[in-house]
Amino acid sequence: MSTYSNQCAIVGVGENQRSRKSGTTPLHMALTAARNALADAGLEAKDLDGIMNYSTGGDSCPSHELATYLGCHPKYVKDVSGGGSSTELLIADAVALIEAGMLETVLIYRSMNGSSGVQVGRGYDPNMLQEMLPGGSFIMPYGSASPSQWFGMFANRHMHETGITKEHLGHVCISFYEHAQRNPNAFLNGKPLDMETYLATPDISMPFNIHDCCVELDEANAIIVTSASNAKNCKSKPVFIAGMAPRTTHSQVHYWTQVDEVAADHAAADLYKSAGVKPEDIQVASIYDCFSWVVLRQLESYGFAKRGEVGDFVAAGNLKLGGSLPSNTAGGMLSEGYTHGMNNVLELVRQLRHDYKGTERQVKDCELGIATGWAGPDIAGAMILRN
Amino acid sequence: MTKQTAYEKPIPLKTPDNHEYWDAADRHELKLQKCSACSTFIHPPGPACPTCGSPETEWELLGSDISATVYSYIVSYRPFLPGFQHELPTVITVAALDAAPDVKIMANIIECDPGDVEIGMPLKMTWVDITDDRALPQWVLARG
Repeated sequence: MSTYSNQCAIVGVGENQRSRKSGTTPLHMALTAARNALADAGLEAKDLDGIMNYSTGGDSCPSHELATYLGCHPKYVKDVSGGGSSTELLIADAVALIEAGMLETVLIYRSMNGSSGVQVGRGYDPNMLQEMLPGGSFIMPYGSASPSQWFGMFANRHMHETGITKEHLGHVCISFYEHAQRNPNAFLNGKPLDMETYLATPDISMPFNIHDCCVELDEANAIIVTSASNAKNCKSKPVFIAGMAPRTTHSQVHYWTQVDEVAADHAAADLYKSAGVKPEDIQVASIYDCFSWVVLRQLESYGFAKRGEVGDFVAAGNLKLGGSLPSNTAGGMLSEGYTHGMNNVLELVRQLRHDYKGTERQVKDCELGIATGWAGPDIAGAMILRN
Repeated sequence: MTKQTAYEKPIPLKTPDNHEYWDAADRHELKLQKCSACSTFIHPPGPACPTCGSPETEWELLGSDISATVYSYIVSYRPFLPGFQHELPTVITVAALDAAPDVKIMANIIECDPGDVEIGMPLKMTWVDITDDRALPQWVLARG
């Protein structure tokens, strides 16, 4: 177990109302999410001495601006270019700064008009990736500009090698859509999915149809991390950060020719070692789900099912409530909302606090959860949380 | 007189690191960067070797008779970049060169029925003249 294990905790989570068209700016949405997270923790803005955020293509607002309009002056602000895995990686940064004694309480947020404003992976200037990345000139001329195309290349090879079928992808979608029906704040609440409908839906980028792709929305999420000693002063039940692991693989940022490995394959061993637990100890999960197949690939990486058996694992209902690994229980990015992974982490925190106790949404008595991030196949950031 | 149709798709951007590759492509040849220290091919080309970090690199001409196999592929039913709306569905593959299987070259598989494509299928490289002075390497299914 690592020295930092359980020395810091998530004490507040919050979001704004997700929608297709917010009619407002990322700053306004981030302020709402931050205020809600502060209220959840029983803290005030002046208690924050660190604020961090991640964004893609400048789609958010700077941490300094958020601090300005929360009316506080933190010691430290940090804005990174990121996406999937950034929630976990920024929480790791916060833990490091708290453990180093530099900061006490850090707010991390993601705010994006991901539907009405800048859509991730869409509407790129045709020369943008070519100018930005050495590999860009070797993908853009061939029409490859969408994550659905990039990850599809990994998915098709992996499915070919392991026997995962379109139906298996469908089981991931159907499991998460089922969760969304219990979550009134899920964007696809009231829109359940069955296998017949799923299989009849035409592909956008093979093997993905619209149900395999996350639901792009305007929304903001916020998380507050503080020291375990300060957590005692908060009104919420603390959820401790037990372990973490970052990892990169692949030589290029986008020209991914080696599709047989993903960064998560290498992060898993470090992650479990850092928390001193095993995959079979995990009771609830937040698994990055920008696309359905990404969930299947991570279940293999993080040891929840053996290579070649992941399809059967999800077909048996193990991602559903009552299964061996209830995952993305708010509906996930496939059906709740999409803030580059942060909304899944909010739900994991709420499950571990037993916020839903007495309702059918609660994963009964769960104490240990995993959050896995996936920026692309080349980057992983994961953490293990305990109550 | 037929009306000249402008090429709408992104044209490969030549840079100091990659122009040898694209200059050769314009001549309908495949040329790959290679590490002078560890002899690993470097693709896409760059300022140093991603395998060993050496800045010493050279170029090797592989010619115009290039065969490969489909390592993975996707079929894309929507255009995400200009120009592709005319050619849907689009097949994009990463193909492993027969001469150097660790080198995987991404391109479209053109002139094919997407339903015919399978992982492991043999491919031949072809070059499509996209403007007066530029050509784009592409794959076609190797038949017969």
